[in-house]
Amino acid sequence: MMTKQVRYEALVKALHGDLYRYAYWLCHEKQVAEDLVQETFLRAWRALDSLKDEKAAKSWLITILRRENARRFERKRFEMSEYEEATITDTQALSNEQNIENNWLREKIAQLPPEYSEPLVLQVLGGFNGDDIANMLNLNKNTVMTRLFRARNQLKDALAAEPESKGVYNG
Amino acid sequence: MDDLQFRRAILADPKSADQNSQNAEILAALQEDETRKQFAQDINNLDSKIREALTIPVPDDLSDKLILRQSLANHQIHKRKTRIHLALAASVAIMGGLLFNFMQFSSAYGNLGDYALAHVYHEETSFANNSKSRVTLTALNQKMAAFDGNFSESLGKLIFADYCRFDGMKSLHLVFQGKTSPVTVFVVPKNDQLDFTAKFNDEKLFGESLGFKHANVIVVADKNESLGQWQKGISDNIAWSI
Repeated sequence: MMTKQVRYEALVKALHGDLYRYAYWLCHEKQVAEDLVQETFLRAWRALDSLKDEKAAKSWLITILRRENARRFERKRFEMSEYEEATITDTQALSNEQNIENNWLREKIAQLPPEYSEPLVLQVLGGFNGDDIANMLNLNKNTVMTRLFRARNQLKDALAAEPESKGVYNG
Repeated sequence: MDDLQFRRAILADPKSADQNSQNAEILAALQEDETRKQFAQDINNLDSKIREALTIPVPDDLSDKLILRQSLANHQIHKRKTRIHLALAASVAIMGGLLFNFMQFSSAYGNLGDYALAHVYHEETSFANNSKSRVTLTALNQKMAAFDGNFSESLGKLIFADYCRFDGMKSLHLVFQGKTSPVTVFVVPKNDQLDFTAKFNDEKLFGESLGFKHANVIVVADKNESLGQWQKGISDNIAWSI
């Protein structure tokens, strides 16, 4: 019993950040992301004994989270699409140049179609390779690589078209 | 690898241009052209920006919340489990009790004959064939009343008559004087616990059962007796009320 608890807490400490960020980029809402992570870890606790390989923990959790997210849409279809997604992304205090740039890029990433942004998040944040992502998303590897290419290509083009002065115009 | 392929590969996976990348094809292509190196560098820079943008702040208390929620949920499950355990223990106790009862009160003998023989052997020493004690017909019929039966006349010299437990059933145990050894007659209520056996015997004794409406009458005697005569005597003499 105790060892299960210890394993669980280790799992939470090591992976809750990654999982939360992944959830956020799936649903673009902090509160929903938090709920998704909570649901995911509760399910993970119940099935913790089935997790034999600790190295596979991350992809295992992400698989649970994706399923949870899909369930969210089954339950309350009406809640979505009330706002334009980009307008509800993170608007942290714009204290410095870096933050402005981050926010601008975040909006661009949020505007990517989900089938592009999801593999990108998995690759960049999750550190998964093409095969892993293909497995998790039930796609073949070529499709995943094409989507990754397109996602980056769009962001690159967006960055290149970035207006010279961004942010607030005064006067 | 042509330029387009190269660009596609880098855009799909910027890490493949890393020094320690496993992708030899990309590394070789990288060496061919300075602009390719520049492109790979640019995309890697883009990737760092993307990573930074993706790395949104995680709520500080999230991990604590997760652990708390789990402990609460776990506590609930635990409580439910103890209740289940209690129920299981109770069921086992009940089953144990039933089994004990069953073993205690169920018969070790499968049929009337076997039980009757065992009963006779058990009490063999209690009755002597030449015993002078006698039970009167009236006393016998008083006891027979419990089985709704009545003997019209005495069958022989009745040494002993009393109730006894015949495989847990209240029954009447009669012992008559026989030619060489006592003749035992049981009046047993009808019951499906023991199989009815019309005739039975072992090396010393033999017996016959007569099925009446309310009761079985079993006669056990040694091989010098004529069981048929006893049976006939009983059939002719006994009367059942209702």
